[in-house]
Amino acid sequence: MSKPSDLIQGTLDLLILRTLALEPKHGWAIAKRIEQVSEDVLQVTQGALYPALHRLEQQGWIRSSWHKTETRREAKFYELTRAGRKQLEKEMAQWERLSRAVGQVVRMAED
Amino acid sequence: MRSWDVIRMRWRTLRRRPRVEDELERELRFHLEQQAEENRTRGLPPAEARRAALRRLGGVAQIQEDCRDMRRTNFIENLWRDLRYALRMLKKSPGFTVVIVLTLALAIGANSAIFSVIDGVLLRPLPYPEANRIVRIFFHSADYAKFPLNPFDFRDFRARSRSFESMAAFTRGDLQLSGSGRPEQFTGFRVTAGFFHVLGLHPAMGREFNRKDEIPGNELSVILSDRLWRDRFAADPNIIGRKITLDSQPFTVVGVMPPGTEHPGNQYHGVAYGQTVDLWWPFAFRGNPNQRGSHFMEVIGRLKPGVAPGQAQAEMNAIVPDFARGWHVLVIPLYREIVGPSQRLLLVLLGAVALVLLIACANAANLLLARATARRSEIAVRAALGAGRRRLIAQMLAESLLIALLGGALALAMAAGAVRVLVALLPAGFPRADSIHTNAEVFVFTFLITLGAGILFGLAPALQAARADLHDRLRDGGRGATSGGRSLRLRNVLVVGEIGLASVLLIGAGLLLRSFVNLLHADPGFRPEHVLTAQISLPDATYKPPDAMRFYDRLLVSLNSAADIQAAGVGSDVPWTGYDENIGGFTIEGKKPPTGEDFHARYHLASPNYFRALGIPLVGGRFFTTADGAQALMINQAMARSYWPGKDAVGSRITFEDHPKEKDWMTVVGIVGDVKDRPTSAMAEMAMWWPIEQAFFPVQQMSVAVRGAADPALLANDIRRAVAQLDPTLAVADIRPMEDIADANVSTPRFSLFLVALFAGLALTLAAIGIYGVIAYSVGQRTQEFGLRMALGADPADVMALVLRQGVRLALAGVGVGLIAALALGRVLRSLLYGVGAADPVTFACVAAAAIAIAVLACYLPARRATGVDPAHALRAE
Repeated sequence: MSKPSDLIQGTLDLLILRTLALEPKHGWAIAKRIEQVSEDVLQVTQGALYPALHRLEQQGWIRSSWHKTETRREAKFYELTRAGRKQLEKEMAQWERLSRAVGQVVRMAED
Repeated sequence: MRSWDVIRMRWRTLRRRPRVEDELERELRFHLEQQAEENRTRGLPPAEARRAALRRLGGVAQIQEDCRDMRRTNFIENLWRDLRYALRMLKKSPGFTVVIVLTLALAIGANSAIFSVIDGVLLRPLPYPEANRIVRIFFHSADYAKFPLNPFDFRDFRARSRSFESMAAFTRGDLQLSGSGRPEQFTGFRVTAGFFHVLGLHPAMGREFNRKDEIPGNELSVILSDRLWRDRFAADPNIIGRKITLDSQPFTVVGVMPPGTEHPGNQYHGVAYGQTVDLWWPFAFRGNPNQRGSHFMEVIGRLKPGVAPGQAQAEMNAIVPDFARGWHVLVIPLYREIVGPSQRLLLVLLGAVALVLLIACANAANLLLARATARRSEIAVRAALGAGRRRLIAQMLAESLLIALLGGALALAMAAGAVRVLVALLPAGFPRADSIHTNAEVFVFTFLITLGAGILFGLAPALQAARADLHDRLRDGGRGATSGGRSLRLRNVLVVGEIGLASVLLIGAGLLLRSFVNLLHADPGFRPEHVLTAQISLPDATYKPPDAMRFYDRLLVSLNSAADIQAAGVGSDVPWTGYDENIGGFTIEGKKPPTGEDFHARYHLASPNYFRALGIPLVGGRFFTTADGAQALMINQAMARSYWPGKDAVGSRITFEDHPKEKDWMTVVGIVGDVKDRPTSAMAEMAMWWPIEQAFFPVQQMSVAVRGAADPALLANDIRRAVAQLDPTLAVADIRPMEDIADANVSTPRFSLFLVALFAGLALTLAAIGIYGVIAYSVGQRTQEFGLRMALGADPADVMALVLRQGVRLALAGVGVGLIAALALGRVLRSLLYGVGAADPVTFACVAAAAIAIAVLACYLPARRATGVDPAHALRAE
């Protein structure tokens, strides 16, 4: 019943959009990709992933279609829409600013 | 653009719900299989791989629900599900459903019907462009609230006032159209230049009057109403320029007004607001501009943009002393002048139906609460299966909304019929009755109050149901009284409220009933039975004053000799048909008026038999006779009391001349009883009657009154025949039995009484249902207690008294609340009351007794049931 907090949800949105920026992927592949790239630091649970995908689709940032995978199975592939690309840029910029700011604060605390 | 995409997306989700659900399931299954495959490649046996994948995935149903939530369509789906569930529940208990839906439909329908009237009469703008700038202008003084202007006063205002874009004056001037068929008199007004321009209206054909038409000698042109043009001139497209004979004179048609030309209404020789006028002709400024004693022009003006009525009034009051000393100017928005008198009545009615709706809501809440208690175990099971508090509340609200919507739909159908009945019942002369319809606004209003009512009466039961401690309820199995205590308390409060509100309405109805009875029993000052009245208007062109007097003398001789006529008279007016502020200042022989005042009274004309025909009693002296000539005078009691207090006025002499010669003195020969302007007027105005033989006052337009022995309608032919024998070109207009006139004058009190009594009856019924419900429920709950009491030797009478006492306690509390509220609200009704105070103790006492009696009656059945409890059975039941 509990929903991810805003920070995590927002971050997950960013991760999904970034992962889809290269090519369309299905949900499983998105989760795997995030785990791989983050060297298993970020574990995406299905309970968070699929609601997030559906929400992003409702927002109009990604769209979905059914295609065959390499193993010739039917899967639902998601790809970025134009609005999604813009949103990705916006969220990246925001993330940069936020992480830089957090970094500065943390360093100052060390001084 | 994007938000449109989002909406489209959600709509698709909603519409193709099965497919979307199916896709979601396939998507999750694919994920599960991928995970299982990965587990297998790590070396797990297939069955174990699949179990591990499932564990990893977590609750599939939960994910699905979350995905649905993300699609934001859950709300609508839930609502839909809730509504279907609610419908099933309602079908299960049809009796309950029918009672709530019907009572709500009656209450909402009454609101819609009254709102239709308010919408048509009060809310719809007047049918003139920028109508808020149109105002009426009157003179005003300590003695006269609204007084017409002298034509030259008007002309000075028109020339000097800067607040107005345009200004016009008008005065009643009916004309007779003769030609083919029976002569007919048409309602007409004499208007100054640009009268229609002030209203923002334009002729459909031809032109309206200009300043040239105001010059004496140019009056013989006429503008026709669309109706007259169609009915009498076959919609002749070439009518402009044609000559027609009106009042025996050749008038040229200069214009035709379009349909929908509404007369703005007027006070003196009043014609109601609406499409009530047939023709308009020019007002010419005749006579000496320095003699301004006679006031008969009603004025209308269009303010310049941005000028408030108050500013215009201040400006005119600054100019008025230059030519009309002693008068103040009143500038009243036209809207208020037209609807003002009916506004109070309509708002009172709206208040009454709003109370009925509140009672119906309390009643519905009450019944729902009772059922919620009965459904406790069902709700507890739902809660146990994981329904959240919000979902439970939503479910209960969906049920109440569904009930409300069913009631609202039924209400709309009933309102459509009720509005037609209402319009037919509206009092005589009610403004704007033909703009009352059930339209889109009424529909929206009904929908909104339906939703509001649904939430209002659903909220308490919903919260009550959802509050509940799950544990308690499951353990009780929905039978114990643990959570019933709070519910019962709330229901008691609701019932007290219902009885209170119903008492307020009953008191309102009672006060109106007493007023109406007072009005009917009040002595009108005349006897309307068997009297027929009519109007006769002699054309100025063919009847000089001596001719007119001769005409009436001969008419009266002819009428008074008819076999079925007991008395026939003519006078300048008949009672209760509106009045003319004809006041004369005069001198009483040997008396001085108090400083700063003068002797004055309204004057009328009357032939000798006028008073006998109308049944106005003689209280002193004698009626004047034809032998008295022009020097005799009748006065009323009000005048005798004021100017000859404690003395006999008969024989006194008065004169209207400043330097009277012997022939200018008139002698009071008789005193007649008082007749008020309207049955509801506070008191009769001082008045006197001149014989028609006098010479100052035009006698062309007179009212005829004839008294017969039987049905007055039979006398109409006598009047027509007598008039036709003297002059076949004359019309006999406005033939009305005096009883109709008297009846029209009490139609407003009757209308308000009828509706408020209807609403009070409805309210009382609802309150009775409410009290019955609570008592019946409580008797059901206390079955064992009653059984025990009887087993211990209590009399059935004791048990019955116990139950009745409970009902009476509720009724007493309700009546107490109601009486206090009615006392506080009394002043709202005061202007609709006659001869009874707003805090009339008799009414209050009767209502209190009636409400308590109804409460006892409503408790009787459950009380009977309580005495019928079999002790053994009741004790075993636990």
